[in-house]
This record gives sequence, C-alpha cells and structure tokens, in this order.
Amino acid sequence: MKPFEPEIVAFCCHYCAYTAADMAGSMRIGYPPNVKIIKAPCSGKIDAIHIMKALEKGADGVYVAGCLEGDCHFKNGNNNAARRVKYLQKLLDEIGVGGERIAMITMSAGMGGRFAETAAEFTEKIRKLGPNPAKTAAGEKLEKAIA
Amino acid sequence: MQDQIPFQDESQVLVIGGGLGGIRTALDLAETGRDVVLIDKGYSIGGVMTQLDRTFPTNNCDLCTVSPHLSEGGRSLHIDLLPLTTLIELTGDAGNFKAVLKTAPRYIDPEKCTACGDCLSRFPECVRFTPGLDPRAPTCMRYPQATPYAFSIDMEKCTDIDALVNICPAGAIIPDDTPLTREINAGSVVLSTGAELFNPFELDIYGGGKLPNVVTGLEYERILSASGPTGGRLIRPSDKGQPKRIAWIQCVGSRGINKQDEPYCSSVCCMYALKEAVITKERFKNDIETTIFYMDMRTFGKDYETYLKRAEDEYNVRLVRSRPHSIDVDEKTSDLKISYITDDAGGNQTEQFDMVVLATGFRIPPETVELAAKLKVDLNPHSFVKTDPFNAVATSRAGIYVCGVLESPKDIPETMVQGSAAACMAARHVSPKRIEAVETDEEPAAERDISSEPPKIGVFICECGANIGEAISVDNLVEDMKKLPDVHIAKSVGYGCSKESLDNIARIIQEENLNRVVIGGCSPRTHETKFQDVLQKAGLNKYMLEIANIRDQNTWVHGDWPDNTYPKAKTLLRMAVSGVLKNRPLKEITLPINKSVLVVGGGVTGMNSALQLAEQGFKVFLLERSAQLGGMAGSIRKTLEGDDVRAYVDDLIAKVKDNKKIQILLSAIIVDHTGAPGMFHTGVHVGPRMQYMRIRHGAAILATGALPNRPKVYLYGEHEAVRTQLELDELIEEKPDVVKQWESVVMIQCVGSRTPENPNCSRVCCQAAVKNALRINAMNPGAGIFVLYRDMRTYGFQEDYYRMARERGVTFVRYEPGSEPDVFTEAGKVNVKFHDPVLGRDLQVEADSLVLSTGFMADDETTEELAAFFHLPRTEDGYFLEDHVKLRPIDLQTRGFFVAGTAHAPKTIRESVVQANAAASRAQTVLSRETISLGGSVARVDGKKCAACLICVRACPFGIPFINADGYSEIDPSKCHGCGVCASECPAKAIQLLQYEDDQIMAKLDGLFERKAS
Repeated sequence: MKPFEPEIVAFCCHYCAYTAADMAGSMRIGYPPNVKIIKAPCSGKIDAIHIMKALEKGADGVYVAGCLEGDCHFKNGNNNAARRVKYLQKLLDEIGVGGERIAMITMSAGMGGRFAETAAEFTEKIRKLGPNPAKTAAGEKLEKAIA
Repeated sequence: MQDQIPFQDESQVLVIGGGLGGIRTALDLAETGRDVVLIDKGYSIGGVMTQLDRTFPTNNCDLCTVSPHLSEGGRSLHIDLLPLTTLIELTGDAGNFKAVLKTAPRYIDPEKCTACGDCLSRFPECVRFTPGLDPRAPTCMRYPQATPYAFSIDMEKCTDIDALVNICPAGAIIPDDTPLTREINAGSVVLSTGAELFNPFELDIYGGGKLPNVVTGLEYERILSASGPTGGRLIRPSDKGQPKRIAWIQCVGSRGINKQDEPYCSSVCCMYALKEAVITKERFKNDIETTIFYMDMRTFGKDYETYLKRAEDEYNVRLVRSRPHSIDVDEKTSDLKISYITDDAGGNQTEQFDMVVLATGFRIPPETVELAAKLKVDLNPHSFVKTDPFNAVATSRAGIYVCGVLESPKDIPETMVQGSAAACMAARHVSPKRIEAVETDEEPAAERDISSEPPKIGVFICECGANIGEAISVDNLVEDMKKLPDVHIAKSVGYGCSKESLDNIARIIQEENLNRVVIGGCSPRTHETKFQDVLQKAGLNKYMLEIANIRDQNTWVHGDWPDNTYPKAKTLLRMAVSGVLKNRPLKEITLPINKSVLVVGGGVTGMNSALQLAEQGFKVFLLERSAQLGGMAGSIRKTLEGDDVRAYVDDLIAKVKDNKKIQILLSAIIVDHTGAPGMFHTGVHVGPRMQYMRIRHGAAILATGALPNRPKVYLYGEHEAVRTQLELDELIEEKPDVVKQWESVVMIQCVGSRTPENPNCSRVCCQAAVKNALRINAMNPGAGIFVLYRDMRTYGFQEDYYRMARERGVTFVRYEPGSEPDVFTEAGKVNVKFHDPVLGRDLQVEADSLVLSTGFMADDETTEELAAFFHLPRTEDGYFLEDHVKLRPIDLQTRGFFVAGTAHAPKTIRESVVQANAAASRAQTVLSRETISLGGSVARVDGKKCAACLICVRACPFGIPFINADGYSEIDPSKCHGCGVCASECPAKAIQLLQYEDDQIMAKLDGLFERKAS
C-alpha cells in the first residue's frame, strides 16, 4: 500500500500569504507539493463553508494563511479569519474530525521562508494524524454505493 | 540615395539607447503623456539584460519579467520605436533641440514580418537577426521575445535576391530598402547607451581569455540560458561535457593597474558571479563544485548580503580571497590550472578546474565617446558621462540627461531607478499631451456577449524556458488538459508572455470563439494584467481568465519532489479549468484621481521629490516629523568627491520654502489613513498643538529615511576618543586643530552592520571611511591611519578614492568576523589590538581617535507604524518592501504609493536624490491620468436575501455598507475595497464578492478533488 499522502488546501490572502508563497518560489525554498493554494483577496474572505466543504470534498487538512497580526491590508480581516478558524476547530472536535486539521497561519509578504516552513510543518502534522475520517467515511459510502 | 522626411513639429523627448534604462525612461514619459522617440542601433531593443539567464537577488528568469516591459515599449502610442537608428547631429538648446537621425535598412518590413523563419531556413547566411534560435556564437544570440519581433537581412551576403523575396510568405522583404535620414524636434535628450563588457582577448594574463574552457560571465549566462546556444545544457566548450569543477575569477579588467585594466569597480560582478554559482548549485547540487576567487566581496545592495550568506551557507559556494596570477591549460584534457596565493596559507597554490568564468566588468565603447563629443557632453576620466554632484542624471549640457551604466557601473534596479529619474528631468522640457490618450494604448475590441454561449475553454501552458519546460512535460500536460470537459483547445505557448505568444493567444480566442481562458504559467500577481489585456483585445471580458501558478508555486519549489511536480501542475490546471467555468464578466469601476501628493519625510529625498512634483504643477504636502527640514544630510558636511553638502541642503530648503505649491507641515505625525487608489485621506497632527488636519491625495511618497546605527561597542559613549564617522565628519570641519594633533587614527568598519542583529551591509561606510581618511591625511599628513575592514566596498568610481588613500599611506588591514579588533584603555588612552594577515602577526596601536563606521539601521518604529497605516509590506530588517525588487524598485504594493531614499535601503545622498526624482516621476505616471480603474472585484448584495441584520455594517473594516431606503444593505461599489469580509460574515449569504464568489471557490475545490471522486 502506498504511504499516506495528505491533501492540504491553503487559502492564501493576496497581499501577504500568496505573495510569500511566490517569494518562496523565487528564493527556491522547497515545501511539500501536498499543499495546494487557493487565492483570496483577504484571509477574512474565507468563509466557514469553504473550509468545511474542503474537508468534505477530500482535504485532509486546511489552513488559512493571512497577514501578520496588525498588518492586514484590509485592517483586520486576518483577525476575523483567526476567530473563524478557532470556532471551527471546536466544531470539528465535537464532530470527531478533529480541530487540529485546520489552522490559521500568519506571515508577511517578504517571508518566503516562513511560508515554506509552515507548509512543511502543517503537512507533517496532518501526515501524522492520518487521513481525514470524514473523507474515509464518505469514500466508504461511495464505494458501497458503487458496489 | 537617402530619403528626407520633414521634421515633426511637436515637442518630444529623444531617448538614445533601448536597453532597460532607456525603456523605463520612455515608458515613464509616455505614461505622463509625453511623446518619445526611442532609438537604438541594434535590430531590437532590450540591451544586455535580455541576454542574462536569471537575475539576482531573486534568481528570477529575466525574460519572463522583462518581456512585459519590452512589449509595452513596443506598443505604447506615445513611443516611436526606431531600431537600427543612430544620431547624426544635434543642434539647438534645451527645450528646442533638433536631431538628425539615420536609420539603416533592415530589408524587412517589421509590420509584415511574422518571424516565421522561412527566410532563415532557406538562406541562413543572409539573415542577420534570428530571435533566439541561432546556434551560432553566443554574441549574436538574442532572445525569443524580441521587440520588434522581426528578422533582418544582410543584403550583401545575398546572392539570389529574387529567391529570397519569394520565400517570404508575408511579402515582408524589401530588397531595395534604403537608409532613411530624418530630422526631429526634441525638448530634451536622454542618453542610455549603456556600456559593453570587457573583452578578455585584450588580457596579457589568463591566456588572453582564449583558452578553450575559459568563458566570460556573459557567455556563461548564455550557456545556462534555456534560449541560449546549448539550449540550457551546461557544457564546457572543449569537449561538450558537463564540468565538475568551475571557478570564477573576479575583477577581470576592473580594479586593475595593468595596461588593459580599468581602475574602477564594475559594481555588479560580485553579485553576478555569486548568482551564476548559486544557479549552478541549484541545478546540479553536489555534481558541480563552484569556487569564486575574489578580492573584496562587494554585496552592498539591498538584501545582497543575505544573498551572499545563503550562497555560502546553503549552496556551499566556496569563496577564496585571492586574485589568481595565472591559468595554465593541460593540452590533452583542456583542463585548467589556476595558480594563486592567499594570505593565510602562504606560498603558491595550484588547483585544477574544468571550466573558468572570467567576471568581466563594464567599459565604455569608443562610439559612445564619439557620441558624447557630438552632443558636447563632458565625460569623466573613465569615459563615463560626467554628471552633477547632487543630480546623477544631469549631464554637463542643459537638457541632456543620462541613465544606467553610461553614468556609472550599476545593476538592474539602480538602472530602473535612474531611468525614472531621467524621465522626471527630461519631462521638465516637454509639456504633456492630452492625457486621455494615455488611458488606452490600444482600442479594446467591442466586448462579445457570451451569456448564451456554452462554455468553451482555451488552455494555454507556458514552458517559460527551463523554468517549467525542464521540470515537467508541457506536451503531456496539454494532452491531459484536452481530455477535460469544456476544454475546446489546449496548447503549449513557449514563453506565454512574449509578444508573439500574446498575439497568438488573442488570435486563437477569436478564431475558435473561446469564451474562457486558462493560462498555466507564472504568478497572476505579476502577469494577470498582461493576459487580461489579451482577452480584452480579443473581445472577451477580462475576468473570463484563470491563471494556474505552475511555476512560482510548483516547479520552482518542488525540485526535491520531482515525481510530484507533474501531478501538481495537472491538479492546479484542473482547478483553474473548473474555476473558470464559474467566472462571469465583470464591469470595472473608475474613479477620478486627486491631483495632490503627500510626501512623508522632509530630508533631502523628500524635499527633492516635493520640489520636482511642485515644479510640474502638482500640489504637495511635505510632512516632517521633526521641527525642521533637512533630515540626516543636515549633519553631513562633505561628500567623498569633496562637494559641500551643507550648502546644497540649505539651498534645497530655501527652494522648497519658496515654492507656493508645497505646503510644509513640521512636527507632523500621521494618525489615520483611509481611502482607495486615486483618492486617499490621511489624517495628521501638526505642530506643537497637535492640530488635526485631513490631507486628500492621489499619490504618496515615503521618504522617511533610516536611523544612524549606534551600537554600544568598542567603548563608544564611554571614551571621548571614540566617535562615529558622522561625528568625525563634523569635527574635521569644526575643529581642524584637534584633528591636526592626532598621531594615529584607527577606523573600524562594519560596526553594527553585517552582524546577526543587522545582517545587511550599510553601503555607505566604506566610502565614508575613505573620505575621512583622505581628509585627515590632507590636513595632517603625518598621522598614521589604519582602516580595519572586512571587505572594502568602494564600488564604482569610489575605487579611485580607495586607491588614492592607499597611495597616500592609509593602511588597510582586514579582519574576519569572529576575530574582531580588541579595543581597551591603557593609561587612559584607547588602544586597538588586531591581527594583520599580511604580516601574519598581531599589532597594537594607541589611537588618538577611534572612529567607528556604524552605518544605518532601519527606522523600525516609523516604518512599522506607517506600514500599518498604509497597509504596506516591509523587509525582514524593517525597510519598505518594493513591489518588484528588480523592475519596480520605487513602486509599493498599493497603487499610488512609492518609496525613496534610505527608507528603501541604505544609500548615499546622491543615490537618494536619484530615487527622489524617480519617485516623483513614478508619482506623475499616476497623477497625470484623470481617472483610475479599481477593478471589478467588489461586494454585491442580493436584496431579496438580505435580512438587514447589520452584521455587514459592523464587519466592514471601512464602514461602507449601509441599510438603504428599501430596507436592505447596500454597498457602494466605488467605495468597496474588495476584501470580502462582509461576504464571509453574512449569515444569509446575501453578499457575494465578485470574482471570488462562493461557487467559484467551490468549483476550484471540485477541480482539486475530482480525482478522488472518480
């Protein structure tokens, strides 16, 4: 059996996190390819439904990456995002998926190194946690349905 | 026979030289509504940069970043681009020059030529210019994104003219093409002819540069380049094998005293050698050893010191401090033996290498000297154009300006800055044209209504040379894309951003009636607008585009996971395809631009920016935190060249105070900031009474400077004989008698710079030490002066003064980090103990004066506060972070915000003034327009779903939503900043952020996980 490779979705804000990811590129600082980025104007744009749907559709871990505290291009969108992630973590704990599968990470546009580092750390964390149970459940259901 | 074209009677700027500097000048001028004639002697524009593989410090591929600029140069309405053209004569005066230009025949009509290459394949000997396909010598190689994109014929070599003419399917060949002479009016002239690289064939040493495996830095770039003669395969010339050990030798032809050498420093070679070594290591890891032989490692630019650290620590580039005296070749293997001597090892050493790269520097060609004579422009002793001490772009003749390497050796960002600064000065002689014409360079095609069409997607994937093409198979990717539903066509487009590819994509959109486009390539951050333009040109709404970032966020970062880069590229593209299905045409909002400027910081930089803008008729608010103007330059007395700084600053202050367009606000601090590009509101507290004032402005220049570093080391602040270079500068002027009594002076360099706490180089301290050493020596020749340094970074012509100081007996002694000099008091006197690596022993000197070169540190508190108010990013050490370190070194991330002076990075006064003028030019490009487009990504409320719960009213960071008369929330699209916070908070899901609507994000997730479901 192939070793478990987690699917990670990173919702990145345009001004800091997405720029930092590009910066990691121009500095050629590597990070695991498990991480797939979806761009948003601000981390505060990322809705609970986006995170939950990502987990439902097949992500093993999801993180929202925004600007450093106090540095949000839109004043405080990142704080909204952090609050939302915290709320969802509780919810995920309650339903047994586990709150540690999602995270809020902050960085400035210049921190290519931090982007790569946190991407690697988060991937490693999810790898240790194993597959998202919601996904496995959905998968089993699907397999049964096909059978 | 020569045709005579009568002169045009409109005033314009003549830019001579179509390298990067000239292109920047032309673009800036065009954007402010000035007409420009840009001439270049070559077949296409672009200069040296287009031949480089990648550039420091980002290791970006140049072509991808420069080509949008070049094609801009090729298309702008205000720019008349004349390749193959030289200046014959210039008469008249500033504001009213007359220039005679001569254009050599190309024998091809560039308007008709499609660069199909049919002429080249049949008559290779006749075709002079082949865009990027030429397997001949690296020097005749150009690049695939050439502007103009056309061939050129060498008619003399052609034997069968009729056959040649007939081979061209476009009918572009003009066998009887003739030289063309024309006369034009010009209000001002900008010179940017650059320099050439030193030809090592002139060398007495290193085998005259003719040994088989010895190449120059530029040749090595060509070998590395995917569009180069080897297609990017790293091979050595003698046996076409991959080398295992490569050496770089620095300062070849520069900093020398031999007959073929130039004495100055070429400023860029240390960085380019490091870059070449790093890129080699990046690609070949431990398969290739890289060694650089150098004298002083001059990494003095912004963040270049950290680049040096990475090269050494992460890439294991080996650095050997030595100037090798000879290279011997092994006749059988063509391997090379370098002989050299180092301080510490003693004795002669030899080492074998497979390939040697000579880091050759800049030199002014004889034709430039002729051109200068024709223009009656003075040159300095090294044949570079002589300029004003405090205005580095102003030549000795009024109305003629200079930028780039022709002024002094420099790298790309500094050339870009000077290009803008020259535009600022040149614009003073030419009044702007109708500004409306600036708005649209090309008439956009009427937008097609696609509302009833089924989706028809075109996927275009860039190879980007080796950047994508080498890491993954673009052809396979294309095939995989074709299998996706709704994808009508998928194609590989080479360099997607080249003019040819862009035109090609536009054509395919129209021919195939595509209504959605996906690009697989680099980051949408840098290239989205480029591709959006293409959609517009092809009659599609520009929001029907998605870009999959398969370079910056895939091939560039997953080199250690080679098996995963292809699947990830496929996934990213599938996400884009799935996402683009949900895209909808959007309308953009345009707003009028406020014509005032806010300049923050009343130092030399801020004052110069303010003055330039005010003299162009813009209202300027000049904000200074302290109670007086002048900034840090107020405490400097003389420059290295001996010019009087105080007189300059006093004069500048007087001019600023006299200008009625400038409102000076002293003791002023910023307390709030709102608004959007085009119309910002900044609140300030002014004066001792802290009066509140609200400034409306359309642009802002941040010139807040840096702080003098004052680390508590080496008895500074404890013993009166210990002072900084700045304090010494003042003492020399104020108390010469004290200085005359000194018997010995010790200076320590890099105090508080290049340390773990402040990792970067402060750039100005080496020249400050040399300056003050020379001044002390002049008034007190008997004094012993010791300068303890790590690397002497007297770049450019500063090298002349460094050499002069050595000739006059100043002793320079190197120290290594870890064995810093020891400073202590003995019998009340300051003593310095240090190791002399040349003598090989420790020395102790009793110093009458110990001078610390303390340099700069970022004004962290100020930049942090301003960055928070204005939502701008900073570097890790606290300087403002520009939008693009190579190509947009003045622009900040928010449109209308610019940075200049030491708030950007450490620099000298002269360099700060250049940036100040450049920022003024960049600000004018914004202010000259009547309106600004804010994009279509705004929040929209569905009134039927809205419950008027007020959550959006409270959530919006800018207070835009309100409950309207109909009882539901309303968001004014012209005020919306487009963050989407309201959309994510709205419990009824009544608000959607256009371009990022919920179904669009879901569609991307579907694209990502499709594989799982199937």
